[in-house]
Amino acid sequence: MSDQNRLPFSAYSETGWQDEKLPPIIRPHRSHPIRTLASFLLVLVAAALLGIISAYLIVEREQPLDAVRLGPWAAYPNAGTPEADPYSVAIYTRGAVIPLAIGEGLALTAREDSAGRELDPTCIYRIAGQTPTARLWTLTAVDGRGRLTETLPGRTHLVSNALLRDSDGTFEIVAARDPKSGNWLPLSANASASDGLRFVLRLYDAPVTTGAALDGVSMPLIERLACP
Amino acid sequence: MTLSLRFSLIIGILATLCLAAIIHILVVLSIPQNVQHSAYDNISGYGPDRQFNLLPDTRPGQEPLPDLDPAMKHAACRFDLQNGPVLFDARIPVPFWSIGLFNSSGETIYSLNNRTAGAERLSMLVLTPEQLSILRENPPENLDELIVLEVEQTSGFGLLRAFVPHPSKADSIDDALTEASCRTL
Repeated sequence: MSDQNRLPFSAYSETGWQDEKLPPIIRPHRSHPIRTLASFLLVLVAAALLGIISAYLIVEREQPLDAVRLGPWAAYPNAGTPEADPYSVAIYTRGAVIPLAIGEGLALTAREDSAGRELDPTCIYRIAGQTPTARLWTLTAVDGRGRLTETLPGRTHLVSNALLRDSDGTFEIVAARDPKSGNWLPLSANASASDGLRFVLRLYDAPVTTGAALDGVSMPLIERLACP
Repeated sequence: MTLSLRFSLIIGILATLCLAAIIHILVVLSIPQNVQHSAYDNISGYGPDRQFNLLPDTRPGQEPLPDLDPAMKHAACRFDLQNGPVLFDARIPVPFWSIGLFNSSGETIYSLNNRTAGAERLSMLVLTPEQLSILRENPPENLDELIVLEVEQTSGFGLLRAFVPHPSKADSIDDALTEASCRTL
C-alpha cells in the first residue's frame, strides 16, 4: 500500500468531514470573530439610527396621531389631557404649546385645502361655509411652523363677530396677500411657497369640545382660487 | 454557529428592526423629560410667581408663547401649592374670557370660561387635599362663592385669556388683567 492511496490525516479526525473536498453548498460556514463583531456593531448602529431618525421625523412633523379630522381641518381634543398618546405628549411638550383646554374652546388646524393640496401662502383661498356653534371664533393664518407672519395691514386674524354674513348665516372669507373686498384674511406679505401656511380656527365656548361631538358638524370648505 | 448566509442576513435585519423599535419608543417617551423649555419654564420669564403677569401682545415675530391667539390678551401666573393655597380672583369686562389651569408638565387640570363661571367674576381657590382639610376646620365666610379645586400636583400655572373686541378696549383689558390676583388666601 503506497502513501498516495491513503486518505489525508484530517479525514480520520473528528472534524475531518469538514474537509475542503466537500462541495461548497454543504460545507459549513464559519465566520471570522472580527466579522461577527462587525455584524453585531452594524446591527446596533443601524438600529440606533433607525430608531432615533424615525422618532425625530414623527415628532418633527408636529401632527399628533389622535386627530379628529373634518375635511381639511384637524382637531386634537386630547391635547394636554392624561388621555393623550405619547407622541402627542412629546410633540406638545417639545413645542412648549399651551393647548386650549376643554372648558375654553377647541382649535382646528388646516394644512391642506379641501382638494387635498398643501396650503401655499402665495395663493388665494376662499374659506366658505359655516362653523360649529360657538360663542366666538377666530381664524388665524400662520406659517408652516405655526408662527405668525407679517402681513400688509398688520393683523393676522379674523373674528366671528366682525364678519359679513349672508342672510342664511354662512360666510365667505378670502385669504390673500393683497387686499380683497368683503371678509379678507391677510396672508404673509413676503412669503415664499416653501414657508408653508396653516389656517387655525379657534372655537371659543363651543359645545363640540369633545371628540365624539365633532362627528357630522359642518366645517368651512377651503378652496384654492388662484396661484401665481 | 453554522447558519447559511441568507439566514443570518434575515436574523440580522429582524434584530435591527426590533432594536430600532425599542430605541424609537424610548426616545419618544424620554422627550417630555428632556425638553429645554417647557411652557412652565417659559412663563417664569414674564415676572415673579404668584401673581398674574401680563404677557406682551401676540404679534408676528414677538409671540410670548407659541400658538397663542392674536385676538386675545393673555396673563399667566405660576404657583407652587407648597407655599399655601392659591386664590384666583379677576373681574374682566369683556364678552369672553377663559382660564386654564395646567400642571408643570403642561397637562390641563381645570378650565372654565366666563359663561361656565356663572358670574362675571372669577374666584377660584386651588389647594391640596391636606390644605382643604385644614381649611374645612376654619372656613372663610365666602367659601360658598368660591370654586374650590383640589389638585394632587403642587406646581402649575394658570393662563387667563381675554378677548379684545376692539383695539380701543385694549388698555382697560390690560388694567383688568394686571389687577387680576393669584395670591395666597
